[in-house]
Amino acid sequence: MELHSEPIRNDWQMMNPTIELKELEVQLGGRPILRGLTGVLKSRAIGLLGPNGAGKSTLINTLLGFHPPFKGSARVLGLDSHTDSKALRSLVGYMPENDAFISKMSGVRFVRYMAEISGLPPNQAMERAHEAFVYVGLGEARYRPVGTYSLGMKQLAKLAQAIAHGPKVLILDEPTNGMDPPARKRLIELICEIREASDICLLLSSHLLRDVEETCDEVLILRNGQIASICNLVEERRANRKFLELETIGAEATFTSTLEGLGCECAVFTNGRIKVVMPDSVEIREVFKVAADKGVQIRRMNHRRDSLEDIFLNAMEQTGAPDGRI
Amino acid sequence: MAVYKRRYNPYSGSQSPEWSRFFVLTRYAFADLFKSRFFVILLILSFVPILFFAGYIFIANNKTVQLLLQMRSADLFTVETQYFIIIMIVQTQAAFLLNCWVGPVLIAGDLTNGALPLFLSRPFTRADYVLGKLAVLGLLLSAVTWIPCLLLFSLQSGLAKDGWIWAHLWMVVPIVLCSAIWILMLSLISMAVSAWVKLRIVATGVIFISFFIPAGIGEMFNSIMGTYWGRLLNFSYMFRLILAKGFRERSGLLGPSGWNEIPLPAAWGVLIFACLLSLVILNMRLRARESVRG
Repeated sequence: MELHSEPIRNDWQMMNPTIELKELEVQLGGRPILRGLTGVLKSRAIGLLGPNGAGKSTLINTLLGFHPPFKGSARVLGLDSHTDSKALRSLVGYMPENDAFISKMSGVRFVRYMAEISGLPPNQAMERAHEAFVYVGLGEARYRPVGTYSLGMKQLAKLAQAIAHGPKVLILDEPTNGMDPPARKRLIELICEIREASDICLLLSSHLLRDVEETCDEVLILRNGQIASICNLVEERRANRKFLELETIGAEATFTSTLEGLGCECAVFTNGRIKVVMPDSVEIREVFKVAADKGVQIRRMNHRRDSLEDIFLNAMEQTGAPDGRI
Repeated sequence: MAVYKRRYNPYSGSQSPEWSRFFVLTRYAFADLFKSRFFVILLILSFVPILFFAGYIFIANNKTVQLLLQMRSADLFTVETQYFIIIMIVQTQAAFLLNCWVGPVLIAGDLTNGALPLFLSRPFTRADYVLGKLAVLGLLLSAVTWIPCLLLFSLQSGLAKDGWIWAHLWMVVPIVLCSAIWILMLSLISMAVSAWVKLRIVATGVIFISFFIPAGIGEMFNSIMGTYWGRLLNFSYMFRLILAKGFRERSGLLGPSGWNEIPLPAAWGVLIFACLLSLVILNMRLRARESVRG
């Protein structure tokens, strides 16, 4: 997977974290759904992960101001989701999880309609609707009623309406639901393109780890309405680059002590297995050089990848952390 | 940017004023309505009585035509208070039929297709949404009630002599006011029913029967209990009562004898209560997300 460069953020975004949760509690029908979420997410592309019923969609709805917090607060780019909801919504493009369209309208008219409601004058809305429709790859189908679209096309139409008015924050709730692999790939590429082409902030909710891994810099993992983990994927990826697993023959203490002399941290296991954490200043070729000097055969070398799946599974296994997380 | 250049561009152009955005809903709703032939036919039919009323006013003010038609009685054609009450009753019934068709088209479709989160995730409140839809019904029903009624009033004023207009100018107030309460009540009830039922055809039926079933129950109540308070459930009756009082009409012209037994404040109270109840239902049903109790 391609590594993401550090996101470019404007001054306004630099001043405020993308999402800030303070002891956020949300109840629906008297039942607590989100239970005291506290956390700050600063990255420009945030993934929201969790098993079904973890509270992902409820959190999104709360950020959009659909559900008032029972306790605590949620802020997006410094705007309170409850008290500044109108200002916040003027920045947002939202792609809901479920079917959401006007079935008898043609695709492009539907997107134009939504853009006009977002505040675009009719002419600009029409132009942007066409652009958005062509951009998501539905140019040929834009004059067909949305009700006749396939599931994948409806997802793309929902994405088109979410981006047509040029939002600052794009909220995507399960965007790849019901899409076949090529369509999913195309949608993920589109999301990455949108991310890179502007200073847009992205919040993507999914139960598909791959979707999040491919599009996001930071991930918030929910479980039973609580934060199970907040993980910065960019840092995680950077750390993984310097973590080696070696299988060696003939390695003695002098090999590891020489590596430690270069600033590496080493852990020796049975059968010549060694784990090495390298500082930024050390390159892999220096490990090979030391091995050659000491007559050590390196039979296998792996960059250990702490994948999002590992992070997710760890978060799901952990319980009862003292800071209120699971 | 040309549409063939596939690239995402942020928008940095002008924005429409926030206060005017509810009217986007109205504009699109009208455009969709006029695509329906049935609606256009219904709308045209609701204007047909106006032509007859206008013809009547013309004849009433034209002695030559009266002579040609061999009308001998001068009182046969009089355009006074009662005449405008009849116009109002006919046109408000036309408005009712139009409302039964149009009301559900406006809201039920959005709810069935789950489009509400799309509207409400924008800088657009539920009040804006209701206002936008209400404006459709308001404009449409105004076009078949008080606007043609005022045009007929103007026609009569123009044709009549001896300062007819000054003697009857007060009628403008009940024409507008009574139409306004009827339009508001019809619109809110139809929107509330559509929001509740969600299916357009069913909603049309429910709106229709919501005016007749309670009236029937009210009459049954009257028969059993030997009272007349059951008429409070008859919205049309309450409206006619307000209309008659507004036009200073005190005869039993508008319905069965005893029409004026219900006090006027009670009639107003019923219509206002119906409006408030509809608003409560709309508030409950028009939400971006439904939450299930349990």
